[in-house]
Amino acid sequence: MSAIAAKPAGNAGAFQPVASVIAIILAIVFIGVAYLLGNMGIFSGGAMVPMMTLVGIIVGAALIAFGVHFVPVGGAPAAMGQSPGIATGVAMLATGAGLAGLFGGAWAASLGFGVALAGGAIGGGLMMAVTCLMVNISYVYGMGIPAASGKVAKDPITGDSQAEYKSQGTEGHGLPFISYVGGVIGGLFGGLGGTLIYVQLLNFYNASFAAVGIVGEDAPVLAVGLAGIFAIGMFLVIAVLSAYNITGTIEGPHDPKFKRFPRAIVAAICASGICGLVAMLVVAVL
Amino acid sequence: MQEIIIGIGVTALAGALAAVAGAAEDTESNIGSQGDPNSQVQLAPQMGYTHRIYNKAISGEPPAYTLWVTLACGVAWAFIMMNVNAVLAIIFGAVLATFVQGIYATTAYLGRTASLSKFGQPVFIDVLKSVTTVTMGHAFVAIFTTVTACYLMSTVLHHPFALPLLGVVWGLALGAAGSATGNPYYGKERQYQNQKFGAGVPISASGNIVRYAEAGQRSSIDNGFFTAKLGGPASGLCFGLIVFFELWRTVLFEPIANGWGAVVAGVVIILIFMIIDRYVEVWARKNYGPYTAAATEA
Repeated sequence: MSAIAAKPAGNAGAFQPVASVIAIILAIVFIGVAYLLGNMGIFSGGAMVPMMTLVGIIVGAALIAFGVHFVPVGGAPAAMGQSPGIATGVAMLATGAGLAGLFGGAWAASLGFGVALAGGAIGGGLMMAVTCLMVNISYVYGMGIPAASGKVAKDPITGDSQAEYKSQGTEGHGLPFISYVGGVIGGLFGGLGGTLIYVQLLNFYNASFAAVGIVGEDAPVLAVGLAGIFAIGMFLVIAVLSAYNITGTIEGPHDPKFKRFPRAIVAAICASGICGLVAMLVVAVL
Repeated sequence: MQEIIIGIGVTALAGALAAVAGAAEDTESNIGSQGDPNSQVQLAPQMGYTHRIYNKAISGEPPAYTLWVTLACGVAWAFIMMNVNAVLAIIFGAVLATFVQGIYATTAYLGRTASLSKFGQPVFIDVLKSVTTVTMGHAFVAIFTTVTACYLMSTVLHHPFALPLLGVVWGLALGAAGSATGNPYYGKERQYQNQKFGAGVPISASGNIVRYAEAGQRSSIDNGFFTAKLGGPASGLCFGLIVFFELWRTVLFEPIANGWGAVVAGVVIILIFMIIDRYVEVWARKNYGPYTAAATEA
């Protein structure tokens, strides 16, 4: 049996309430730790600033985890025209889109919070829009295959029927329009979440450096570098977590695996809590 | 005004560099069989098909290119900090990263192929010698152009990220774009030329890749020759358009409405791409029609 023919055993995709509650409690503990460390003066800015920074990071991570589920990924089977989606890994593609968004968001960061977030989201969406179009061009003009999904009878957006265009012995191929739209939405969420994490960290680092008297030309450069590195790192953490949830391939929002996203969001909330805390401890005042 | 004109020029140049980078990246990964189709190259000997195709994928193109481009950016940045001429610094960085790529390619090919010895797959030393240098040549082009584009973004367009951080962002995006666009053409159209054109590869055909060229056994350099016709340019166009539009919308429209102009321009561009995609999809359905099973020969 090939990897794509294998079905997950038992309740592999089911929501697990006990584990989820533990994860949420852990996340609340991390937020409490940020509050306490701020209160004790280890984080600069008082109790509320570190806490709100961490909350922002967690919200950003949840947005990324949700967005990753929209990205249509087919991995190796897609490269053979055996399943629909983009022929690469979930974590890599989502991170690529998210980082393209982060690039735009970081560029616009000086123009204000709203512009930075919107710029980041659009950057991610744009990257996915171009990539998805070129994927379809490869399939249609390079290999002579129309897009077809094996998961739904009709495209939920255009109403196009799928089954008759699907080659025998495959699960579908190419990117049906619903998958294209899913890819763009995934890029939007990824860019938005990544930029939110970046902006939160950047503001926190700038405030921390100012509080301990690190000023001058190098301080903002250092803050941008640190915030960028940690935002990229957290992006990879969340994308890999979500990739485990997806287990290989997903066609987009119409895929049954999409319904697993709450699990990934809970995991992302917990993981980003501890990651965010570590990112903030880098500039702790000891 | 002058700044905007220079910005547009640099945007076009960065886009062009990215297009070359994407084309070279895809050709490099196809010669080295580093994209997702590598699973078929790895699988073939297990299904009884020994071959002379290089196979160097360990973790896929995006992380590998992130490493190489970031390494080159980091080295170039260090040399620039030491007041070395920027062009020389970028060349130093790209050369060093290319050597790392060569080491990676050699060890990956030997390791992956040796793991298949129990299925009778030999390590071909002539393949190792001829293909590794060709992938290194393509990798140099991809790395050099990407680092140059990152340098332009950093110095002329004043992006806040330092050069190595831009290397992480665009190295990963390069790998992701090339992997997404180029892989299907290499995976399906090149490796499965024994299958019907105009249809996906049936799952039952997995591992049965085409191993013979017009004269003798096919080597990976033939794969580069084949995919440089469509897969490479398509990947180049993909990465070039991403870089171009990402920079263009910001350089030209950011001054409008305190930055919201760039956001609106981005939305418009996304919608235009969506319309083109829908057109391509409908065109394919109209012209190719529903799937018909291949007629069995008597």
